[in-house]
Amino acid sequence: MSLELINVHKSYPMISGRKVVLSGANGHISRGEKIGILGRNGSGKSTLVRMFAGVEAPTKGRIKCSMSISWPIGVSAGVKPTLTGEENARFIARLYGRNEKRTVEFVESFAELEEYLRMPIMTYSSGMRSRLSLSISLAVDFDCYLVDEALAVGDTRFGRAFAERIERSGLILVSHSPALVRRLCTRAAVLDQGNLTFYDDLDEALATYNAL
Amino acid sequence: MNLRAELAIIGRGARMQQRVIGALIIRELGGRFGRYYFGYVWLFIEPMLLGAAIGLLHYWRDRPTAFGPFEFFAIGYILFFVFRGILNRAPSAIPGNQALLYHRHVTLPDIFFARHIIECIACAGVLILMLFGLYVVDGSIPESPIKIAAAMALMALLSQGLAFLWASMSYAVDVAGRFLQAITFLILPIGGLFFLVEWLPVWAQEIMLWIPTVHIFELLRDGQFGSRFRAIYDLYYVAGWIVVTHLLGLAALRITRQRIGLE
Repeated sequence: MSLELINVHKSYPMISGRKVVLSGANGHISRGEKIGILGRNGSGKSTLVRMFAGVEAPTKGRIKCSMSISWPIGVSAGVKPTLTGEENARFIARLYGRNEKRTVEFVESFAELEEYLRMPIMTYSSGMRSRLSLSISLAVDFDCYLVDEALAVGDTRFGRAFAERIERSGLILVSHSPALVRRLCTRAAVLDQGNLTFYDDLDEALATYNAL
Repeated sequence: MNLRAELAIIGRGARMQQRVIGALIIRELGGRFGRYYFGYVWLFIEPMLLGAAIGLLHYWRDRPTAFGPFEFFAIGYILFFVFRGILNRAPSAIPGNQALLYHRHVTLPDIFFARHIIECIACAGVLILMLFGLYVVDGSIPESPIKIAAAMALMALLSQGLAFLWASMSYAVDVAGRFLQAITFLILPIGGLFFLVEWLPVWAQEIMLWIPTVHIFELLRDGQFGSRFRAIYDLYYVAGWIVVTHLLGLAALRITRQRIGLE
């Protein structure tokens, strides 16, 4: 089970010409691997995340995916503000064919929302929102979690619990922060000017990135 | 790959789609009306109120004819409401739900199917309620409930094909959605709700029969009081519209899907 990039090209039209995000990327990410993808702002990280998530197609080439990959953690993937946290958890459980009761129980024990779980999402603080969506995604139990840097896996009780839980699954962390990648990943790739280069050695990747 | 393996894959896909649509329906119901159970009631009350209002208006105003004016207009309006309800909501379907596409097995057509099923269930419920009400009040029974159900299904399918197209168009060009409100309003007098084809002069019949909804209304009236007038309709023509709008509409949604930039 893996995610495989085969000669993947991606570009999109701009006012003048096309913006190239990827020009012929190849790579292989196995199940359970923790890989960081480093890129400067505007290098096309978010586009890459959407391609890994399977919601945006490459312009050319193929992405072969034989493991389950989460939606990008940190985006509000269709969470409805008028529904309660519990209802949103149930929705995701139904969508992914998971047991609703167990999903809600997991979110209850993990998200630290207390009675807010039964309140509409629009009453939540932004921290509560992100804890809810993280907990729901952990409840679905994917082979690999796709995490956009926006996520603050900070040094809080929840942040540590999240890092610990993610130990047991794969991780694709797209970030511009070398420190975060060093903390959570064992391998890394660098995205720069359309080139996605994978490094088996984490230090080599970080050095390349820092030299950019 | 052998046939059995292929069937297994299709079966798995069908079950997944069923699951997705089911989840979307529950989400849509909870979201559309907020947290109040009255919202669910409104789903039924809106078509019923409008249908009954139009029915009563004609009941008081019209001279007695072979048809009860209430039956004619109130039941007819429910059918029109299917059309109006599905089409008027089409432009908001994609912008309002595109974040759901982050879940990779949710597709654009699924989002539409879920909404259309809700619309159909509400209108079918009201239709049955009204027909039952008419039976209680003056003992009238529709001549062919099957034809009424068929008219309802055809109207929903036609609206669905048009909704695919319209949603794609208004996603590409924002103002297209605004025209739609006007168009569904303009189609009200000529869509077949207010007349039987038989009542029109021959030259007008020929023009009106180009409009697919006119055929569907004729089928409805045939089901309600078929032996009391000469119904004129061609179901192949309606089927043609449904097939063509679905093919074009699904193709348009496919193009739209590639253009959606998720944030």
